[in-house]
Amino acid sequence: MSWFTPTSPSSTLANPKASDDGGFIAPDRTARSQCWEGRDSFFVCLEKNGIVDSVKEDAKAREHCAPELKDFEKVCASSWVTYFKKRRVMEHQRDLTIKKLAAEGATPMEGSSAGGAGAAALRGK
Amino acid sequence: MRRTPDSTNTRLIPASVSIECHKQPNLTNIEEARSRSKSGPFSWQAGLLFLAAGGGLTFYFRYEKARMSRARIAEANKGIGKPLVGGPFTLTDHNNKPFTNDNLKGKYSLVYFGFSHCPDICPEELDKMAGMIEAVKEKHGEGVLRNVFITCDPARDTPQVLKSYLAEFHPEVLGLTGTWQQVKDVCKAYRVYFSTPADVKPGQDYLVDHSIYFYLMDPDGDFVEAIGRNFTVPAAAKVINDHIADWKGKIDRS
Repeated sequence: MSWFTPTSPSSTLANPKASDDGGFIAPDRTARSQCWEGRDSFFVCLEKNGIVDSVKEDAKAREHCAPELKDFEKVCASSWVTYFKKRRVMEHQRDLTIKKLAAEGATPMEGSSAGGAGAAALRGK
Repeated sequence: MRRTPDSTNTRLIPASVSIECHKQPNLTNIEEARSRSKSGPFSWQAGLLFLAAGGGLTFYFRYEKARMSRARIAEANKGIGKPLVGGPFTLTDHNNKPFTNDNLKGKYSLVYFGFSHCPDICPEELDKMAGMIEAVKEKHGEGVLRNVFITCDPARDTPQVLKSYLAEFHPEVLGLTGTWQQVKDVCKAYRVYFSTPADVKPGQDYLVDHSIYFYLMDPDGDFVEAIGRNFTVPAAAKVINDHIADWKGKIDRS
């Protein structure tokens, strides 16, 4: 069946296949990268149209980026679609906050781990 | 500081030599004495020795200081009473064999909590984990680090699912799963936040929220450190390698 639809992804993303022991097979590397590509082309279209939040501005996104959105929803599980849309908003807001803080003169702080050696290793000691 | 040649002469030239010196021209003695008095007790050899000793001591102190701070961290988590992170658990590995916290002992262990239906973070972290495993092997050889992936999504992540999922990242990562209660208990022991509901319907599509850390455990099965997402592979590998180097007991390399 796969040669009739050469661009169709493995069925594990949109329709998860059950495994023999009662679980559900996870998307493999190929399926994941197909999903990420679909997401990226959808985001490029959003960028071009100045849309950040495609959840709230869903109608607008569908109007301008209908083919990309359709493809994105085809190659990715719906939970992933929602997750990536929300993550885009979160990252945008985070970048804005960082810019604002940098303008106010804040210096970047290193992230920490639970442990001083970790933090020291981060500083390259 | 200038010394008078007369006093220098009497101090620097021992009596046994002075008899022979009468045979040589006096100029040599005075020249020698003057040059010695100019530089005082310091010669370039002494200066070099001083610098070498100073440099050596500096390096030694820095190394010891780093080692002591690592030891303090490793010991801090071995307090009396209930450990901060870690504890008894019972799970099943991706070959369908039982796996408990006792199976973690003997080697250092790197524990990661995640789930196979994760969109991007777990694959990223697992690729990092593969990098860390190789970096540790390069430094310390085979068999010192055990690598474990504990699922936060037992409904979908059965042993077979985990086995094929993890095979894409690194052959040495062992997947662990269990019943919902067993997974909940191990997450509680490791203070891992996880949000999977108990009653998931088969085929349901959802994501699981969970803490994103690598937990390093020592060969006694005790928690050493948590390595966060912000660590690059080399930085994380350095933390692990340094702890392994500090370990004074035996590591079971089998």
